[in-house]
Amino acid sequence: MSDNKNNFRDLKRLLKLKQHEIPPPGYFNHWSGDVISRIQAGETGRGHSFLEQIQSDSPFAAAFLHLFVSRPGIVGAFATSLCLLVLLGVLFADRSEPGLPTSGSPLFAQSEAAATEAGPTLVASVDTLAAPDSGITVSTNPISSLQPVQTLFGSPQNPLFQQVNFTPASQ
Amino acid sequence: MSEPTTVPDPNAPAGLLEGDLVRRARRGDLTAYDELVKRYQERIYATIYHMTSNHEDANDLAQESFIKAYSALKSFKGGSSFYTWLYRIAINKTINFLKQRRNKHHISLNDLDFNAEHDPDLVALISEKTPHRDVNLSELQQKLNEALLKLSEPHRMVVVLHDVQGVSHDEIAEMVGCNIGTVRSRLFYARQQLQGYLADYVKS
Repeated sequence: MSDNKNNFRDLKRLLKLKQHEIPPPGYFNHWSGDVISRIQAGETGRGHSFLEQIQSDSPFAAAFLHLFVSRPGIVGAFATSLCLLVLLGVLFADRSEPGLPTSGSPLFAQSEAAATEAGPTLVASVDTLAAPDSGITVSTNPISSLQPVQTLFGSPQNPLFQQVNFTPASQ
Repeated sequence: MSEPTTVPDPNAPAGLLEGDLVRRARRGDLTAYDELVKRYQERIYATIYHMTSNHEDANDLAQESFIKAYSALKSFKGGSSFYTWLYRIAINKTINFLKQRRNKHHISLNDLDFNAEHDPDLVALISEKTPHRDVNLSELQQKLNEALLKLSEPHRMVVVLHDVQGVSHDEIAEMVGCNIGTVRSRLFYARQQLQGYLADYVKS
């Protein structure tokens, strides 16, 4: 490679031409006055987008947001994979719930022990709790346990708070 | 009879340091801000003009940069000089503008000043054996601007700031928000690109 190509001597000379591209004499005489007039007219708050505000306040956040503009494909792929991950998580959580050995669950074990001590009435209620078709799933998962899974809409049928119907004995 | 001498007022904005002017402007003193605008208007305008190759766009963007800087003055923490901070605003504004206007370049160039014809470097460039010896300065100006517009915005910015305006690598890194190595590599790549685009006009 020749020296000229590395030093860019002629190119630098040519670029000096740009220094001679200047507005006509007197162009800046009232220029600052125009800026001040526009500020006084109240243009300071106008036209500054959220992005511009961030750019001046936080260059890091601006660079991150710039990624959304410059590489929308990557951001789209990232968002899609995130959604898929959440969806898979929900699906796996749903699938794993019915197969859980309820009798092995510490919550169930506690409830069973308490029920045995309390007598037959409580045992019945605990059976209702643990029964798979009761709408309640017992698990160690703090989020999904004791959630009525079969009634997503409408009134929840939580057997812990069942309404009591009775008919008066006089009839 | 001697003429009355005018003693410069130490409190007049023109005599104040940049830091004092910024402090006064932050308190809402528009006279101080007017002085700051006067100090940097030509450099900010020139940077934007060389990036856009359009006089009208440069005028609008430069004014908007100063207006934005005034409104954001309260967020200026003084970590860098006001000049660097102002440049950063102007650069961001210009790059955003160019991205929106991508591939829709409208060249409107300022005339060359009288000194261009007598610039020793330019005289040498034309008089030396180039493939186009008979080219005139206006044509060179046109070709140079077209070549610059072919560069990506970050590469064009580095060439404009360093090779046209003489800003140091360190300052460019601070203005653009990258490290010096990136500035140097961008500059080298941009020069190579320009050399290729202008091969007919630059001896290689």
